[in-house]
Amino acid sequence: MAFVYNFPLFSIILSMFSAIISSVLSGKWAKRVSLIMVCLVLLMSSGLLVYTHSTGEAVTYMMGHFPAPWGNEIRFGVLEAVMAVFFSIVMLLSLLGGMSHVFADVEDTKTNLFFVLIDMTMSSLLAMIYTNDLFTGYVFVEINTIAAAGLIMIRQHGHSLVASIRYLVMSSIGSGLFLIALSILYGITGELLMVPARDGVQVLRESGNYSLPLLLSLGLMSVAMAIKSGLYPFHTWIPDTYGYSTTTASAVLSSLVSKAYIILLIKIYVRVFGYAYADAGHILNVLFVLGLVAMVMGSVEAIRQRDVNRMIAYSSVAQIGYIYMGLGLGTEAALMASLFHIMTHAATKSMLFVSMTGLREASGGKTDRRSLSGAGYRNPLAGITFLVGSLSMVGFPMLSGFISKLLFARAAIGVSGKMLPALLVLALSTILNAIYFLRVVITIYSPQGSDAPLDNVMDDEGHVLTPEAYQEAERAKLQTEGVFLAPKAGALVKNGPLMSVAMVLMMLLNFFLGLCSGPITEALLAGLRIFG
Amino acid sequence: MSNYFLLFPILFPVVAGVLVMTLFKGIKERKIKLGIVFVSLVVETAAFLYSLFGPEEGLMLWKLNDMLQITFRVDTMSRIFGTLVAVVWLLVGCFAFEYMKHEESEERFFGFYLVVEGTLAALTMADNMITYYIFFEAMTLTSLPLVLHEMHKAAVMAGLKYLFYSIAGGFMALLAVFLLANGGGLGSFTAGGILDPASLAERPGAVLAAAMLLVLGFGTKAGMFPMHGWLPTAHPEAPAPASAVLSGIITKMGVLGIIRGIYYVIGPSFLKGTWVQTVWLILSISTVFMGSMLAYREKVMKKRLAYSTVSQVSYILFGLAVMDPAAFTGAIAHVIFHSLVKNTLFLAAGAIIYKTGKTLIADLKAIGKEMPVVIWCFTLVSLTLVGIPPTSGFVSKWYLATGALASGVPVFSWLGPVILLVSALLTAGYLLPVTIHGFFPGADFDYSTLKKKEPTLWMLIPMVIMTAGAVIYGIFPESLLTVIRSAAQVLFG
Repeated sequence: MAFVYNFPLFSIILSMFSAIISSVLSGKWAKRVSLIMVCLVLLMSSGLLVYTHSTGEAVTYMMGHFPAPWGNEIRFGVLEAVMAVFFSIVMLLSLLGGMSHVFADVEDTKTNLFFVLIDMTMSSLLAMIYTNDLFTGYVFVEINTIAAAGLIMIRQHGHSLVASIRYLVMSSIGSGLFLIALSILYGITGELLMVPARDGVQVLRESGNYSLPLLLSLGLMSVAMAIKSGLYPFHTWIPDTYGYSTTTASAVLSSLVSKAYIILLIKIYVRVFGYAYADAGHILNVLFVLGLVAMVMGSVEAIRQRDVNRMIAYSSVAQIGYIYMGLGLGTEAALMASLFHIMTHAATKSMLFVSMTGLREASGGKTDRRSLSGAGYRNPLAGITFLVGSLSMVGFPMLSGFISKLLFARAAIGVSGKMLPALLVLALSTILNAIYFLRVVITIYSPQGSDAPLDNVMDDEGHVLTPEAYQEAERAKLQTEGVFLAPKAGALVKNGPLMSVAMVLMMLLNFFLGLCSGPITEALLAGLRIFG
Repeated sequence: MSNYFLLFPILFPVVAGVLVMTLFKGIKERKIKLGIVFVSLVVETAAFLYSLFGPEEGLMLWKLNDMLQITFRVDTMSRIFGTLVAVVWLLVGCFAFEYMKHEESEERFFGFYLVVEGTLAALTMADNMITYYIFFEAMTLTSLPLVLHEMHKAAVMAGLKYLFYSIAGGFMALLAVFLLANGGGLGSFTAGGILDPASLAERPGAVLAAAMLLVLGFGTKAGMFPMHGWLPTAHPEAPAPASAVLSGIITKMGVLGIIRGIYYVIGPSFLKGTWVQTVWLILSISTVFMGSMLAYREKVMKKRLAYSTVSQVSYILFGLAVMDPAAFTGAIAHVIFHSLVKNTLFLAAGAIIYKTGKTLIADLKAIGKEMPVVIWCFTLVSLTLVGIPPTSGFVSKWYLATGALASGVPVFSWLGPVILLVSALLTAGYLLPVTIHGFFPGADFDYSTLKKKEPTLWMLIPMVIMTAGAVIYGIFPESLLTVIRSAAQVLFG
């Protein structure tokens, strides 16, 4: 057994221990521990990727060498390694990008807790990627939920408290459903490890016994994960959660946490129940339809938002819809497209949140569209990052979003009955994405105040104001309230060095995914074939 | 496949444009700034022409993944469109040096003006559908700042409208590319089509749908009904040089997209006589008529010219839809002639706005006495657009009409020429009043208030050159027509 085999377990354990250690450290040291931990995980996952890519085989790793039913298993192939590498990269960039704001947004005595939560999140993400045991999966789903709720709450103002309670309630329903489904499956097959459970399911399907509980179990698991990853119509917790948290938390929650649940769900489909069974039970059709609805409704809601942070959050609803649409198409190519879109969305959404923070700083701490006008000139790097992120979301060529759309469309062609709706909704969703993202891009590059007349502004007596009068009134109002004024046009806002580095790296990552997708899609496909 | 010089005309203007946008703030002297832009434009034109007429070797630049390759190669179509772009872009650029004096943020305008030329160079030299699509989107995006240059509410709304129409059109084209991808449609452009015959026979429906989507999608840029709505909004809001190239060049990239998709990927022999051809003919014919009618009713000068573009570009699309060698020749000739004419018309309108601030046609009384050279150019190219011999418009319309009549397409073979004639009458109706009122303001007009308002040579010379081109090509069209005919012969076998 190669030494590399230990890496998945090491990285899970390492991140858990970092959390434990950090709980007694100061914020500053906890930060260092977190950063070192993520870098080490990145290194180990890269090593694992190189190894698994060269052997091309999936490895089952028994913890403590106890065989089932006592032992606990980890299983990894190319796919798991790719995801682990990618998740640690995005985690690292999100941490770097939001670092200065963590110390600004979080109460001084609690900064180490923030990093404890980040470490916990990291360990649960890795565990969900690697585990080969349903119950372990459930345990880490719970850990992830609690850590995520903490990440939302740690900013401690009204909105984020409400958001975290809402998140906790919705997520608990999801966890509860998952637990029920797990109990049912355990009850009828007597197994919790994934591979023996698959044999149990196989026996039941052939004998025809317990067909309803079996289907119910799969259905409940799908619903549970749909709630937790925010598939429409279970998306109501998303906008507040992502919109009001501190930058790193928003980036991590939207790009990683919701994706790990989807990976776990794919694992359950492929490894335990078999994709054909999910298809025969019409569960895939339901996911497909919900995915399509999410693609449209998420964008429609996003268009209606005035606050750009909430708009970005609603766009996540649409993007999650893409991923479930791919799941619902039910072919190997579509599943690969979904996995690629998980990467695309993770890379792009974290980038959008970080750059929006930079733009917010340049606009007096506000994120509504009007205040953001001209922000692209006041904070050029954040403006360019936001531009690249938006274009990627819309699907402009050479960026990762384009490759996602291409893969989805190619996968949809030839799937009978689903091809036309998928292609049409893809087209519609592209246009809707363009409407809200590019509107913001144009706003941040228009001279300050010039977008005010875009919607006619009235004063108290109902007269329409000219842009100059509006600006005058707005500045006067702000001054009387003693609010920090947005820097005037021409005054540059400096990003912290870490944030600048993070933004540049995020852009590079996006271009990398867009320009060099060949090896990645090959690795994903190879990983998918040995995933089951 | 590694003629890296092809990259030069694509990358050079992009780099130059970015430098112009970032470094120009530091330069105080306007002459130095414009000098640099002028030199860049000249270098670009020379390099572009050299890569068009230089070595034939293509370039395989990059693989996005196993099936998406970015490749460039030059063929006859590239030469025709590329030469047009290179020459017109330089001339309109010279006009802009003077015109942009009264606009703000010149750096941004000239920066993006250069960047767009890079994408256009890439489009004309693109060798497969995916490369074409990528640079098509890049062109949309980089030409957007030209439309919303003035950044007031109407301009931003016009820019957004332009953007959304283009993205909708772009995605239709992309869907078509997806549908064609399985039949080998991503290969190198070859006259007469590259689709795998087995896949054509197996799923003709998908290929037909792809053809329709291609026509509609790229037709958006070319202003074909029902996706023409952005033209009359975007043109009046953009500064005159930008509207000139939007009408004269950028709409033609939609046409080039259709030519590449229909004639170089799917193949005209497959589409002839199908429902796609019928729908395409109906759409283009109705656009010809509708554009002329709307132009005739319009009172704002630049809007009238925009509607005229809607109508005229659909002449080209009609010629392509007929799928006959003569009509094809007429269509390609009309691409060139319309580009020269419409650029001159918009530049003339721009010169009038620049000197007098007048935008309504009714206000242009006696303008010919104030700016004789401008209005003479306007008059000559108007006659060209109407198609009065011996101007070039006559030549292209002659080929379009005879091609349509000879094609044997039921109904449209005679209906098309009839509509073309009616539309020519309308064209005369909406363009000539400017000349008539401009030179003959009426007996009771008070001539004493008139002043000489002729613009400087920077503005006049581009107009005169393009007018001369439009007229002279009508008298000596043979050299150009020979080139187009040889291309058409290869296409139709």
